Amino acid sequence: MRSVAVALAVARKDLASEWRTRELVPALAQFVVLALVIANFGFEVDSRTSAAIAPGVLWMTLVFAGLVAFGRAFAAEREQASLEAMLLTPASPAAIFAGKALAAALMLALCEAVLLPALGLFFGVSLTLEVVTAVLLATVGMAVLGCLFAAMVARIRARELLLPLLTLPLWIPFIVVGGQAVQVAMGAGGGSRAGSATGLLLDLDILFVVLTSLTARFVLED
Amino acid sequence: MSAVVASSLTQRFGSDLALDAVDLAVDSGEHLAVLGENGAGKTTLLRILATATRPTSGSLEIFGLNALVERRLLRARIGFVAHASGLYPALSATENLEFFRTLHGVDRGRVPEVLDLVGLAEVAHRPAGKLSRGAQQRLAIGRAVLHDPRLLVLDEPDASLDSGGADLLGRVMRGRTAIIATHDHALANRLCQRTLELRRGRVVGVPTRLRVVH
Repeated sequence: MRSVAVALAVARKDLASEWRTRELVPALAQFVVLALVIANFGFEVDSRTSAAIAPGVLWMTLVFAGLVAFGRAFAAEREQASLEAMLLTPASPAAIFAGKALAAALMLALCEAVLLPALGLFFGVSLTLEVVTAVLLATVGMAVLGCLFAAMVARIRARELLLPLLTLPLWIPFIVVGGQAVQVAMGAGGGSRAGSATGLLLDLDILFVVLTSLTARFVLED
Repeated sequence: MSAVVASSLTQRFGSDLALDAVDLAVDSGEHLAVLGENGAGKTTLLRILATATRPTSGSLEIFGLNALVERRLLRARIGFVAHASGLYPALSATENLEFFRTLHGVDRGRVPEVLDLVGLAEVAHRPAGKLSRGAQQRLAIGRAVLHDPRLLVLDEPDASLDSGGADLLGRVMRGRTAIIATHDHALANRLCQRTLELRRGRVVGVPTRLRVVH
């Protein structure tokens, strides 16, 4: 119970800080809209191609927005030396990590609330419950992995370079499976694979949430 | 009875030797001042004593526990004020303490008590980032005593404090074992029973016993 309280306190603190400073979410929301505008001009989008192109644009945009969101999660803590203050309490490092990942995932979900309707607007694709479910499930797994590597590289000077190099290979399963689920839901693939892709995303989430919880302690402590 | 016993504490950063076989014993309730010029190893020593850093070699016992193994257990008994305040600038003084209260698992009522103790009750709702440097330092000191630690480790806590700072430090150190790094010999004289001088990572001479002025 105490670990849950700690994780919620960490997430609440991060969300309150973001609400007051508005440093990350507005910039990310602008970024995702700009990415869609560029993609809209870059590809020849019409009613025949939109369902095939939109999922790729969605995942590319999400990946880059995620890298920024998760990178900031620990970089800001290191800059203001507050991560050490948190770790010098008896609170479990895994609970602290869970709180950070939860807040980062919620901030990315806020950007997705801008991204998905904008995608529907620019590409004329329908946003079904399956699309939203696939994106949210992928966000969970991407958040825990992104935050784990962000914590790992936060004390390194070249962290902006290292974070994508470490994170992107492990995000590939989410992009492949999530992409499949979204393509099917947008009518660009076989209908029977949507349910199994969503199930696989859930399995990947469980796997990486457990793995990152076990490794968080070693990453956060020196 | 010794609260802190360090033996041959050595810290290397690459080829640099920051601490060289430092031995230290601090009695329970005793106040020790660590003196030395910049780069003498004071911060490194204090960070090891606060369990923020692991030494390259040597042993450290705090309250009879191996501090290199039982770190989380000891963190409930140690309060640390580091060089950087480590506060959340967008959160108010109260919110900062509320947050750390949850992490320490202490009662909600402790927050107003601590704000009173460090003299920040009147600015409790102001964002920490908008407080003066001295007030931020008071808040960092408040956070260090939030969980009523038995050992206080203070790294130059007087750096930004005003004239009432020494009184505040005296108040928070009272009844606790305390190790304080400072450049201010007068402050060390006023607050501590003993001093330990470091030079290039080594203890110089033997720890000096001071006259205590209350």
